[in-house]
Amino acid sequence: MVIFAHPYFEYSSANVELIKVYKDVEQIQFKDLYEEYSDFHIPTFRERKRIRDYERLVFHFPLIWFAMPPLLKLWIDEVFDMTWSSEVNHPLQNKDAVIIVTIGGKEENYTQKGLYETSILDLLKALTLSLKVNNVEVVKFITIFNADDLDQNHFDEISKKIKNTLEIP
Amino acid sequence: MENSLAMTALIFLGAAIIMVPLVRKLGLSSVIGFILGGIIIGPFVLKLTGKNSDDIMHTTEFGVIMLLFLVGLEIEPKKFWLIRKKILGLGLSQMLLTIIALFLIFYALQWRPDQALVAALCFALSSTAIVLQTLKEKDIFRTDAGEASFSILLFQDISVIPILALLPILASRPQNHEEQILLQYLPDWLQPFSIILGVALLIFLGRYIIVPFLRYVSRSGMNELLTASSLFLVIGVSELMVVAGLSPALGAFIAGVMLATSEFRHELESQIDPFKGLLLAVFFVSVGATINFYVIMEDPMFILTTTLIVLITKFCILFGIGKFFKLKIDQNFMVAFALSQIGEFAFVLVNYSTDLYLLDPKLNAQMMAITAITMCITPILLIINEKFIEPKMVKPQNQEEKIDEPIEIQKIIIVGFGHFGSTVGRLLRANGVEATILDYDSERVNLLRSHGFKVYYGDAAKPGILRSAGAENADLLILCLDSPEKNKFVLQYAREKFPQLKIFVRAKNRLDAYDFYNNGVENIYRETLGTAVNMAVDVLKATGMRGYAARRMGKRFTLIDKAMTKKLAKEQTSDKVTFTMKDYLEKEAKLLAEDSHSFDESQWNDNDEF
Repeated sequence: MVIFAHPYFEYSSANVELIKVYKDVEQIQFKDLYEEYSDFHIPTFRERKRIRDYERLVFHFPLIWFAMPPLLKLWIDEVFDMTWSSEVNHPLQNKDAVIIVTIGGKEENYTQKGLYETSILDLLKALTLSLKVNNVEVVKFITIFNADDLDQNHFDEISKKIKNTLEIP
Repeated sequence: MENSLAMTALIFLGAAIIMVPLVRKLGLSSVIGFILGGIIIGPFVLKLTGKNSDDIMHTTEFGVIMLLFLVGLEIEPKKFWLIRKKILGLGLSQMLLTIIALFLIFYALQWRPDQALVAALCFALSSTAIVLQTLKEKDIFRTDAGEASFSILLFQDISVIPILALLPILASRPQNHEEQILLQYLPDWLQPFSIILGVALLIFLGRYIIVPFLRYVSRSGMNELLTASSLFLVIGVSELMVVAGLSPALGAFIAGVMLATSEFRHELESQIDPFKGLLLAVFFVSVGATINFYVIMEDPMFILTTTLIVLITKFCILFGIGKFFKLKIDQNFMVAFALSQIGEFAFVLVNYSTDLYLLDPKLNAQMMAITAITMCITPILLIINEKFIEPKMVKPQNQEEKIDEPIEIQKIIIVGFGHFGSTVGRLLRANGVEATILDYDSERVNLLRSHGFKVYYGDAAKPGILRSAGAENADLLILCLDSPEKNKFVLQYAREKFPQLKIFVRAKNRLDAYDFYNNGVENIYRETLGTAVNMAVDVLKATGMRGYAARRMGKRFTLIDKAMTKKLAKEQTSDKVTFTMKDYLEKEAKLLAEDSHSFDESQWNDNDEF
């Protein structure tokens, strides 16, 4: 299942191109959070029940003010449960995850010595930790820098990368 | 055989009723059915028409005037401006080139220069009625070919007016001995003056008399009165123009343009349209009936060669222009074939020129025959295009077309623009989404128009009005009428006639909503739900509940309520309504008792969708 969250999707040239990659793949459920829950009302129980049907969670979102989009955070808040980590057969059992982040800034800014003094991995610690405590392994972490100035060649390259990732057994 | 006028009209209509479905079955345009029907009942086959057919033709020429009025109504100045380049470029070049080419050919064939020019003028026109009818039947209005055809036709319709003004001038020059009669028709020096005067009068009438008059009539709320005043308007204007010494067609056209921006546009369209249809049908039949086969048989070669020359010339010029304006090849073929005939205005023009002694009766009959024949050939040409030429062209074009097809703006019709509808409309407008709006309160329409809303006066419960508001090409229909019965009526009508429409409907309460669900509508908006919930949420907050929790509960309540209504609607048809109603209300209460914040897994029951 692809969990896509983008509050300003219509203005994102990169993501409009990139999510096309999910179209051709079978056995993929594409979930556009900002379209489906545009009023920020998440039916918690339904989400929990459905999440069992998928083997892999693909989180695809842009970095907004150094964090994931608020609706994605809300989705995690509502759907995930703190008690799960101590249970045996919880809804996130036997799953892995892929994280795909688009970032407007340059790669060198997101280093210890760079402008923002923090790496992307550190910024998204909340997400990766939430997955880790529920026994969900992140098999791939794709970061796309300079997302606003990519050309078709870049898109093709990244799309290929995403496609390969989806096929990891 | 001597028949009364009514009897003849009866025969004409009968011929149309029998022939049109037959011809439509063969996949031809209904126009050819009318003309064929006319030929069959005419003096050369069944001899049913008697001597009245000329009279009927003259009477029903009025259909052409109504057509022009409707064309005028279509030409909203703004819309006109949008496709001005196409109209001017395509239309002007088509008219000029065709007139020049035909004139040169006729002149070379040693016609009299004035007759050659008249013939060229008449033959350059294409048939609005046939082409528009065909476009509509084939449903290709929105394609490039459709737009190009429409642009050319529009220009031609407009150019009929200067041609009508030009003919008397043409007539007066070479034939001095006719001067007395001509003077009675139109005094030479007064003519330009009378045109200006007439147009000014019409503009004045349209602005200060007609629209207030229609408002006054509509306030009375009587349908028949509106029909009567619409007819009164068209006939009155054209008679006025005759008195002023102008062509009635010109008058009708200008009156149409004048009213195109008024709120009565769609209402007038739907009122006049049936009359126009009826009159035009009889007009086409009488065209068929008056084809003089004796004239054709006298000199078949002349008719045949002239017809061919006209068709080929018009086709080549249209094709050339299409190429110049970069139409795709298949679309170009379509336009060139579709517009290659001679139009119904030629009948009017030819008769008018004969009255002016420009043409003698024999040439008149021959030109009428040529016109009628080209009209009959058009549908056949289109079939040839469809069966033999298009298949070869379209295939390689197909892939390309998919990519560069322009994204169509969704067309929206809002019915009812009271407090409810105007809220919907304002939010749409604030986001740059334009809609066609219909309302039945003339004072409100007046007020809204003064605030810049594009509102039209019209009763959507009347079948024709939705169609003239463009329901055939629209995507969304938004019903915001006060009366649920009326909403339901329009809804059922729209679903039947325009199944492509996605419908959004306003409902008063749960019971209306059941009705709409059972009519197959998904998008139902109960006016008593949203606001009531908002109020309850605020009341909850006032009692001390946290705002966020209250909002969540309100949202959840709304979702559950909607789903319950949907379920109940299905069971409404069975008898156990009262029982299930109570049942569901209990269930609803229980569900609402559980906040979705509760993470107790034991509560993951059947109703976890919310």
